[in-house]
Amino acid sequence: MALLDLKVNGQEVRVEAPDTALLLDVLRERLFLTGAKRGCETSHCGCCTVRVDGMAVHGCVVLAARCQGKAITTVEGCGDGMELDRLQRLFLEHGAVQCGYCGPGMLMAAKALLERNPQPTLDEVKKGLDGNLCRCTGYTPIFDAILAYSRGE
Amino acid sequence: MECKLIRPADLDQALAAREEYTDDGLPIAGGQSLLVMMRNRLVSPGALIDLEPVEALRGIEVQSTGISIGAMNTCRQLIASPVLREEVGVLPAAARQVSSTAVRNLGTIGGNVCHNEPGADLPPVLLALNGQAVLRRRTHGREVPLDAFFTGYFETALEPDEILCRIDIEHPPANAAGVYLKHAISPEDLAIVGIAVVVVPDAQRPGAVAEARIGIGGAAPVPLRATRTEAALKGAVLDEKTARAAGEMASTEVDPGSDPHASAGYRRRMVTVFVRRALMQAAGRIEENGHGAA
Ligand SMILES: Cc1cc2nc3c(=O)[nH]c(=O)nc-3n(C[C@H](O)[C@H](O)[C@H](O)COP(=O)(O)OP(=O)(O)OC[C@H]3O[C@@H](n4cnc5c(N)ncnc54)[C@H](O)[C@@H]3O)c2cc1C
Repeated sequence: MALLDLKVNGQEVRVEAPDTALLLDVLRERLFLTGAKRGCETSHCGCCTVRVDGMAVHGCVVLAARCQGKAITTVEGCGDGMELDRLQRLFLEHGAVQCGYCGPGMLMAAKALLERNPQPTLDEVKKGLDGNLCRCTGYTPIFDAILAYSRGE
Repeated sequence: MECKLIRPADLDQALAAREEYTDDGLPIAGGQSLLVMMRNRLVSPGALIDLEPVEALRGIEVQSTGISIGAMNTCRQLIASPVLREEVGVLPAAARQVSSTAVRNLGTIGGNVCHNEPGADLPPVLLALNGQAVLRRRTHGREVPLDAFFTGYFETALEPDEILCRIDIEHPPANAAGVYLKHAISPEDLAIVGIAVVVVPDAQRPGAVAEARIGIGGAAPVPLRATRTEAALKGAVLDEKTARAAGEMASTEVDPGSDPHASAGYRRRMVTVFVRRALMQAAGRIEENGHGAA
């Protein structure tokens, strides 16, 4: 076991976890941040996407120990816990969420993209979300929400 | 049994750990394949040796003979590298086609090569760039040309006490054209076939080929060079007919298998098609610019 010092959504936390614990397991099982979802666990579906130092990563294939000293952001870090942030609100308005399972991962991948490229084209949005599967919406409402965000809506 | 995580401070410590845990330790680079293999119980190492802190495995250095790429460069770093874009654009172009954004953010060139998964995108390109694997063990080092490094299905020449430190590639001639074409059902999938060509035009004879190198992934247990086809292209004028014949010939140099993504016959057929297309794209690039910008 190891003691890990992590910074999650701006807060410093210390957790005990196996040496090679996965970030997803630490977030969900030790810190009870269940926004990042458990899906395929093999880096295919992207519903566990979180950000580490701004980059979108799949939490199921990241060692938690490696995230020490880096900034981890999960969907719980969006908005202020009461109010949704602008991108979340646009997801809602565009019907980008049906069952909702992919939503947290989509939001985190979208945020990483928008930070890198605030005015993405539709193709760039698709490429930015290429690690995230959605089986309900057909993606279009998700792309629309992100493009609306980039237009400042 | 719990798996230990060893975080060496430098290459010496990493190599010492590699020697100590020869039996049941594995280096971890991006973890994008290894952690999936562990999750699926295909491997159960007793220790992971974390290569992330090892400075000697980083950086992209331009040398007089070529470019030396540290094994821990991620696909994201390959894509962003001004040097690679300038000198060997075909490599960042292939890195851009690896899997998804999240995998490209962490997956490394060293891991991609050591994992040697059929259909991986970087091996065919690195083969066509005459890549060398720079390997180290605690006591000494060696260099292995990549065409000898890939030894079998998910197998390489890497010994259990070695670490791949760098991949060295040659400077392609300034007028060379490099093309990588990936054929996959969905772009995030591994390639059904991945074809890399580097064509060096003959400066004296317009249209003629001084040298052609063809790397093929996904169409045999290992990524390979189509050496007979390359020999046949030497000196030939690269037109549609030559490219077609080269595609046919290359399809006799591969040894594809069948899996749920594609049958062996389909893979062989796609080698024909994509070798031809890649050669024609390279020829087009050379004709347009008088050179190809590999
Ligand atoms: C869903 C998914 C889709 C993918 N699609 C593609 C694709 O389309 N194209 C593609 O090319 N790849 C694809 N991959 C593979 C991806 O590129 C891998 O991340 C990469 O091949 C392995 O790199 P890594 O740095 O993550 O290595 P790791 O997973 O850390 O390691 C892989 C293996 O290499 C060994 N190793 C790593 N580095 C070294 C070193 N320096 N010295 C000695 N041994 C070392 C490890 O011990 C391990 O056995 C995909 C992977 C996933 C999970």
